[in-house]
Amino acid sequence: MRGFFKSGNPYIWLTACALTITILMMGGLVALIMMNGLSVFWPHNIIKFALKDGSVVMGEMVKREPIPFKKDAYRTKLKIGNRDVYGLDFRWIENVDIEFREYPAHALTFERREWGNMYGFLKGIKQNDDVLPLTVENLISLLEENHSLVERIRYIEKSVIGDINFKMEKYRLALKRLTSEEPSPKVHKKIEFLHAKMENLEKTYREKEHVLAELYSGVMRKEIVVLLASDEEKIVPLFQVIRVYAPNEMGALSKLGFYTKKFWEFLSEEPREANTEGGIFPAIFGTVMMVFLMSIAVVPLGVLTAVYLKEYAGDTIIARIIRISVSNLAGIPSIVFGIFGLGFFIYLIGGGIDKLFFSETLPAPTFGTGGILWASLTLALLTVPVVVVATEEGLSAVPKSLREGSFALGATKFETIWKIVLPHATPGILTGIILAIARAAGEVAPLMLTGVVKLAPSLPIDSHFPYIHLERKFMHLGFHIYDVGFQSPNIEAAIPMVYTTTFVLLLIILVLNTTAIIIRNKLRKWYSAASL
Amino acid sequence: MEGLKRRRFADKTARWVITIGGSITIFVVIALFLFILSEVYPLFKGAKVLKENAYSVHGKVVSLGVDEYQEIAYTVYQDGNVEFISLPGGKVMKRYHIAGMTGPSATAQHNPDKNHGIFTLPSSLQGKKENTHEEIPQKFLGQNTITSVCKDNDRLVLGTSDGKILTAFITFSESFNSEKRIITPEILREETLQIDEKEQEIKHIVSESDDSTVTTVASTIDDRLLLKYTEERKTLFGTGEKTELKKNITDLLNQSQLNIPFESPGLRSNLIDPENRVGITSLALDSFMENLYVGTSFGEVFRINIRDKENPFVQEWIKVSDKAVTALGFVLGDISLIVGDYGGSVSVWMQVREEIPSSEVVLKKIHALKSHTAPVVAVVPSKRNKGFLTMASDGMIHLNHATSEQTLLNLHSKATPTALAFSPRGNGILVTDLDSNLFHWSISNPHPEVTLKTLFGRVWYEGYEKPEFVWQSTGGTDDFEPKLSLVPLIFGTIKGTVYSLVIAVPIGILAALYTSQFLHKRIKFIKPVIEIMAALPSVILGFLAGLWFAPFIEKVFPAVVIAPLCIILFIAIALFLWKFLPARLKGKYRYGVEALFLIPFIIGAVYISIHLNSISESILFRGDYREWLLNILGLHYDQRNALIVGFAMGFAVIPLIFTISEDSMSNVPGNLISASLALGATPWQTAVRVVLPTASPGIFSAIMISFGRAVGETMIVLMATGNTPIMDWSLFNGFRALSANIAVEIPEAPVGGTLYRVLFLAALLLFITTFMVNTAAEMIRQKMRKKYRKL
Repeated sequence: MRGFFKSGNPYIWLTACALTITILMMGGLVALIMMNGLSVFWPHNIIKFALKDGSVVMGEMVKREPIPFKKDAYRTKLKIGNRDVYGLDFRWIENVDIEFREYPAHALTFERREWGNMYGFLKGIKQNDDVLPLTVENLISLLEENHSLVERIRYIEKSVIGDINFKMEKYRLALKRLTSEEPSPKVHKKIEFLHAKMENLEKTYREKEHVLAELYSGVMRKEIVVLLASDEEKIVPLFQVIRVYAPNEMGALSKLGFYTKKFWEFLSEEPREANTEGGIFPAIFGTVMMVFLMSIAVVPLGVLTAVYLKEYAGDTIIARIIRISVSNLAGIPSIVFGIFGLGFFIYLIGGGIDKLFFSETLPAPTFGTGGILWASLTLALLTVPVVVVATEEGLSAVPKSLREGSFALGATKFETIWKIVLPHATPGILTGIILAIARAAGEVAPLMLTGVVKLAPSLPIDSHFPYIHLERKFMHLGFHIYDVGFQSPNIEAAIPMVYTTTFVLLLIILVLNTTAIIIRNKLRKWYSAASL
Repeated sequence: MEGLKRRRFADKTARWVITIGGSITIFVVIALFLFILSEVYPLFKGAKVLKENAYSVHGKVVSLGVDEYQEIAYTVYQDGNVEFISLPGGKVMKRYHIAGMTGPSATAQHNPDKNHGIFTLPSSLQGKKENTHEEIPQKFLGQNTITSVCKDNDRLVLGTSDGKILTAFITFSESFNSEKRIITPEILREETLQIDEKEQEIKHIVSESDDSTVTTVASTIDDRLLLKYTEERKTLFGTGEKTELKKNITDLLNQSQLNIPFESPGLRSNLIDPENRVGITSLALDSFMENLYVGTSFGEVFRINIRDKENPFVQEWIKVSDKAVTALGFVLGDISLIVGDYGGSVSVWMQVREEIPSSEVVLKKIHALKSHTAPVVAVVPSKRNKGFLTMASDGMIHLNHATSEQTLLNLHSKATPTALAFSPRGNGILVTDLDSNLFHWSISNPHPEVTLKTLFGRVWYEGYEKPEFVWQSTGGTDDFEPKLSLVPLIFGTIKGTVYSLVIAVPIGILAALYTSQFLHKRIKFIKPVIEIMAALPSVILGFLAGLWFAPFIEKVFPAVVIAPLCIILFIAIALFLWKFLPARLKGKYRYGVEALFLIPFIIGAVYISIHLNSISESILFRGDYREWLLNILGLHYDQRNALIVGFAMGFAVIPLIFTISEDSMSNVPGNLISASLALGATPWQTAVRVVLPTASPGIFSAIMISFGRAVGETMIVLMATGNTPIMDWSLFNGFRALSANIAVEIPEAPVGGTLYRVLFLAALLLFITTFMVNTAAEMIRQKMRKKYRKL
């Protein structure tokens, strides 16, 4: 036994245990996110419990857990929905209280614009004071009709009225600028001209408003009657209903189809209900645009530094100082970059730009407040080291013989670098960009200070001149997770969405990193082959 | 030839551009540092005078005031005349005579009394008894003069030489005329009242009022203390029901009335005059109209409780100085008492609950400030913060801040000062002197509450029982004082870092050792997988830690305690099984797959320990671990605690430690290892005695870099702790880290304000810490690279 310990084998097992724990921790994390994130949109069956006290509850089963210190006792967490009726989304039910359970075939899940899901049976459509029977198929076609109306309302609200507001704001600013000028007949004429234009706009606005009001009243008129589990009748405006389905009647294949559709909606639609429902499209868009802008800023900086270090500097003091600053940039906490971005970019530079070019809108800031440009620049500083290190590795992979060949043919150093070395180092640079993007996509703390918001009213790209609005605030996947998970009023109902968002973010980052590592490993192999 | 020149030029230009571009990172780091430093620097700059103006006034000013924008000042003269002076020019805008003064009319010139200011010093100490007699001739002439003043916001209460009290409201109303601000001064609602039937000079006066009551306390030249109280109850019809009370409370101060024995009766009897009379040298009344403080010529302060105006009583009697108490006042909030004495020393006192023996509330000295060289004659508090002005009889004015105990500014009037005023916004100081000068200083005093001591030391805040480290940046009320001690935050950062490194360092290094030395070549792909995990966004870790892991651990905490035992047991079983597994089965995977072999065992161990949760809770913790922790260890279990943060941050840090130390261990030259093995060392001995020492600089740099990462990590600590700034090493409660604090508070902090700059200071601390750690790590790595090149 003593010899066994002396050989050190048990200690080797100990180190193996450390690795196992690491693997399990990481694997468990990914598995947890996948399990929770992927199951959210699966249409769960609706279960109905008749309780011993005579009441009936219906909803989706969320989880089941044993009750401590009691044998064979467990409780079930039921998503009962109907927040407007019951006040709560979830309810715990102990198995001893249950008289019997069933999966009613005709039970329907109503997805609503407000108040979350509703579970119940369709009774009919309301017409004056009567309730006419309605089949689910008819309801679905009615809903489709309704959706096209809602789309139209959305279009008018967002695009048409948005346009009017945009123009109005432009005229208003022009007017403000003119009034501050020296009064002259020319200026006076211009002012009058602007006033006329504004009046015209006002008129169209009122017209559109009228149209909207009419559309709304048309949409709101139709109401359906839903029978709840407790035999209560509930009148729901058709406008509120987004989708209706009977999960208990669906087969596995149709459920899968439904799931795919829902997931696509999640990726492509805007959030609803304080971000706890709907999609995350603006967050994905904001993240992508932010990392794109960041890449534009970070690539030249990182590549120049790497080229200097590898090709020009040698082992001088300056090179060593640069290396130290690069590793420091990598090590400085991101929140410090955030506070720097806030103080330097936003208040100093942004404030300065406002004073010079946007003085007519002051005191409302244009660039002097958080925006996508400042967030991107802040993150660019943060990710410089990633690009430098990867590019350096790429440059090292370029065989010496290529360089020497180029020199031998009479090329200058710059020509050699520009035409021979850099093209060969592209995979390295690419790796750097991908890693930088992955880092930026997951970073939240500096963004919280430099322009990310929980709900951006409009995307940074739209149809108004100059089309790309760098001063706008934006949404971000990582911040979305933080905000919905920790600051939404109804966290319990929001958590499934947070898991799904987390899954999307994790997927993006894992894919990006894996790609980068694959490219890098190819590069390394090539390097070791080339150096032979 | 031309082309060659051009090419050479291009080459040179490129060299320059690349060199400059390459050095940008240096500039970025320096710019980061300098910018943050420049935002922090003004915190420690103190106050400065922006503008100094001198005007001349017409006589002896007894009271002085200014509007919010420092555009109009008013001066109240000894004879009851009031002048409004427009400040940039110094022109008198309006003159006024206060009703009840029998002196010469407002327009007449008054000969300034050269002998003494309004701030009369105790006659016994001044050594000129004839002082009082000077007033008498004026009285005989049928004139009275103003001898004491009290300012209660807009209400001006004046005591006269013939025992009267005059009340007047001086207000400034704002109006706008074509976008220009116009300020109009007004005097309203004047009242005259005979408080002293003996028609003696009122030497000191204090008065406070609220909607329905007015309390005034005056002391006369012959040291009588008079209390006057008016209450007006409005009935439905608007007619007031008035209760009035006038009381002589001088007896309260007499020794015979006090049941507290004097601490040093000798001192008092030496100074005391034959009538055993107490010389009243200053008064202060708080705005709650409950505590009346009386300063005496013996350096005592009496705290008289006048909540019940019918029966006031001395609650406390304390010796605060060897010299006469010449000035009393309150810091904003009317809780802390400022005491200035004849010797010039200035201190701040507060009622503190004593622990032993009686838990009674007693006055304690909580702050001492820079002393004057002459008797303190006036104390004027700021209406914005806990700052105040003190003025000595030699004209020296100090701008102090109570909590930070610093004197920010020293100013000086030319002759003996007569009146002092602090502008409502705390950005202007006015003083008049006996030479009829009016000085006006516009000051900038942006961060009076911050010194190195308030940031890093224990500070005795109002309402606390002892000096403490407190971070509390915002509060509910207007007179709330921000408490900005960085110590709890630094403590939180260290706590989070320590716990996460305790978890991450052993696991990371051991796993790296195994991967580099023992892992089978076929499964080396594990390494890049863990490397990818280093890129896991901290917001994901924080979210899972806060919303999944924390509630989970809360539920299965006993299982967490027994899990290590279970794991060790299962590893032993695994080892046993492995030993007796026929070699045939193991095939070519004889070595290097232990980690994979262990996976089911560790999962099993965790599963079993969770299963045993309730049993172990009843055995180990008597059925309820929370109660057990609280009763036996005295620890409170929070759901989001340091344990959770340690694990979550461990996730972030383990891949980092693993990657860097694995790299350095793999880079240990193969010939060293081969030599060791050839000499008969076992693989384990080789790993511990050869590989670890050779790779130790790399491992060290891995720990350093992980330390830097843990110190600056924001989202995990933000989401996985309760963010309460407490100082407690307990594993089971939360903390607030510097980084999370920045993220939480900076969106609310006004730009350029104290909180904003203190948060920049927090960022600076983080920057400096990580800078040192990273520079050290990078230097070690550069050295190591050289060493390996040699080997």
